[in-house]
Amino acid sequence: MAFLEVKNIVKDFGGLVANNNVSFEIEKGEIVGLIGPNGAGKTTLFNCIVGYYRPNSGKILFKGKDITGFKSFQTSREGIGRTFQIMKVTTGLTVLENVMVGAFSRTEKRDVARAEAMEIIESLGLTDIKEYHINELPIARQRKVGLARALATKPELLMLDEVASGLNHTETDEMVGLLKRLNTEKGITIFLIEHIMEMVMSVSGRVIVLDSGIKIAEGPPDMIVKNPDVIKAYLGEKYAKSH
Amino acid sequence: MEKLKDALDFSDFSKTERVCFYIFTVFLLVFPWLGVGSFVKTVMIQFMLFSLFGMGWNTIGGYGGQVELGKAQYVGIGAYTVALMMVWWKVPFWISMPIGVLIALGYSFIIGYPLFRLKGHYFAIATICTSLVLKDIFDNWNLVGAAKGIELPIHEHPDFLYMQFKSDTYYYYFIMGLFYIAIFYMNWFRKSKLGYQLRMIKDDEDAAESLGIDIRWCKIKAYSIASAFVAVGGGFMAVYNLYIDPASVMELSLSIKIALMAMLGGAASLWGPIIGAAFLVPLDRFLGSWLGGHKGLTGIDFMIYAMLIMIVSAYQPKGIWGIIEQFRKRGR
Repeated sequence: MAFLEVKNIVKDFGGLVANNNVSFEIEKGEIVGLIGPNGAGKTTLFNCIVGYYRPNSGKILFKGKDITGFKSFQTSREGIGRTFQIMKVTTGLTVLENVMVGAFSRTEKRDVARAEAMEIIESLGLTDIKEYHINELPIARQRKVGLARALATKPELLMLDEVASGLNHTETDEMVGLLKRLNTEKGITIFLIEHIMEMVMSVSGRVIVLDSGIKIAEGPPDMIVKNPDVIKAYLGEKYAKSH
Repeated sequence: MEKLKDALDFSDFSKTERVCFYIFTVFLLVFPWLGVGSFVKTVMIQFMLFSLFGMGWNTIGGYGGQVELGKAQYVGIGAYTVALMMVWWKVPFWISMPIGVLIALGYSFIIGYPLFRLKGHYFAIATICTSLVLKDIFDNWNLVGAAKGIELPIHEHPDFLYMQFKSDTYYYYFIMGLFYIAIFYMNWFRKSKLGYQLRMIKDDEDAAESLGIDIRWCKIKAYSIASAFVAVGGGFMAVYNLYIDPASVMELSLSIKIALMAMLGGAASLWGPIIGAAFLVPLDRFLGSWLGGHKGLTGIDFMIYAMLIMIVSAYQPKGIWGIIEQFRKRGR
């Protein structure tokens, strides 16, 4: 029994098929990357797994439990945390309060929630901005806040949607280090969508490639970069033929 | 125990604000003995009553960020329960008022469940509709006095069981008690799990749901708390006015005033609804008595409210409290 099992997911938006018969498995403790050109259906697949969308057909099993058709808040309670590709820039809650809301999903007590939130904030190096609002932060910090509040829900599986987009080189390296640390120290399984190739290749143990809603390849990163189908999807048919 | 500590703990406000609050409390305590006329006392009672309504509205409307414009129906439920139970079965206020609150809670769950499938403007319109429908039913329902309303039988003064007094001073201290219970409750509420979750929902619903928050259930809970608050106020209105009719306790304008007071003072803040009521209740009274005397000017007060709503939402969505907070930030 795999940790996360996705079986034959189909999701279409009135004719436009965003995911067509996508199946894969993720084992506990893995870091798996999901790549593909723009519009390949990566975010849709994420949304189907976490329950933001309901797939038209197919099954999702998490720790052996059928979670197909669960709502977002239910999958979160099951232990799936997620971040958003586009983080809403809000003015209402401070960084600390944002993370506390995440922690509140596992406790009723404010003191406990605050202590847990502070611990996560410190481990992600956000202590200096804990009283700021999200709209006052640069994008790299915003993404970390998104990650922090997802972590506060104590996920076993963390799904990150382009967590490194908009980050510069050093920030990306820092993020890679952070994800590896979360994976080894806390044993969190990570499934991430990423556009930045170097990042995916350096962080993931296995990569899944999606193109036009279909899974075209799956394997270790060094195999994936040599896969002709992947090269075709990314660089076009001409480029693939000439090589 | 911990909840009580939270309710009485104002330490996250600045020292100036706490001192203001204490002075305000002392002022309210001695106010009836300052030799003021009965009209001013009535205005004070109205102020505290509307603060109570506003604080209730603040749970769903302020912290939850849902434009809720149907609170009058729950004022009506509270008021009618107290009045009818007294007229029909001579039930004392202290029994009928909690029953009114329970009915309001039950009704709000039934109404809230389908209501919170809607969002934004559609939700706002739906709340107005449910309130109007209930008012129409009561307007035409002969058993409960229809549009004529019902009068409460007068008891000998003072009657603590039925809460009937000749002197406004009794009512004054009674509503003051409710007013402070509301403040302490809201002080706890804003720091509670539900308070945080509602603010997250207001900020970003998708993110809130991804953090394990059942959005619809949270909104229903907040809506019901708000309804219970205003039902208490409605019960008070029944024994205070000794006469109620759908036009006085279920009118749309009442719903709008409740929301407007909280918004003007500052939604999603503890003091906002109180500040808003302190501005609007005297204004309402003044406009009511002044414009009422001039033929052809009635209705202008609603134009003024409409303008206030537009000004607040365009220039200062956080209300008067938002302005105070801006100054505080600058001072830092």
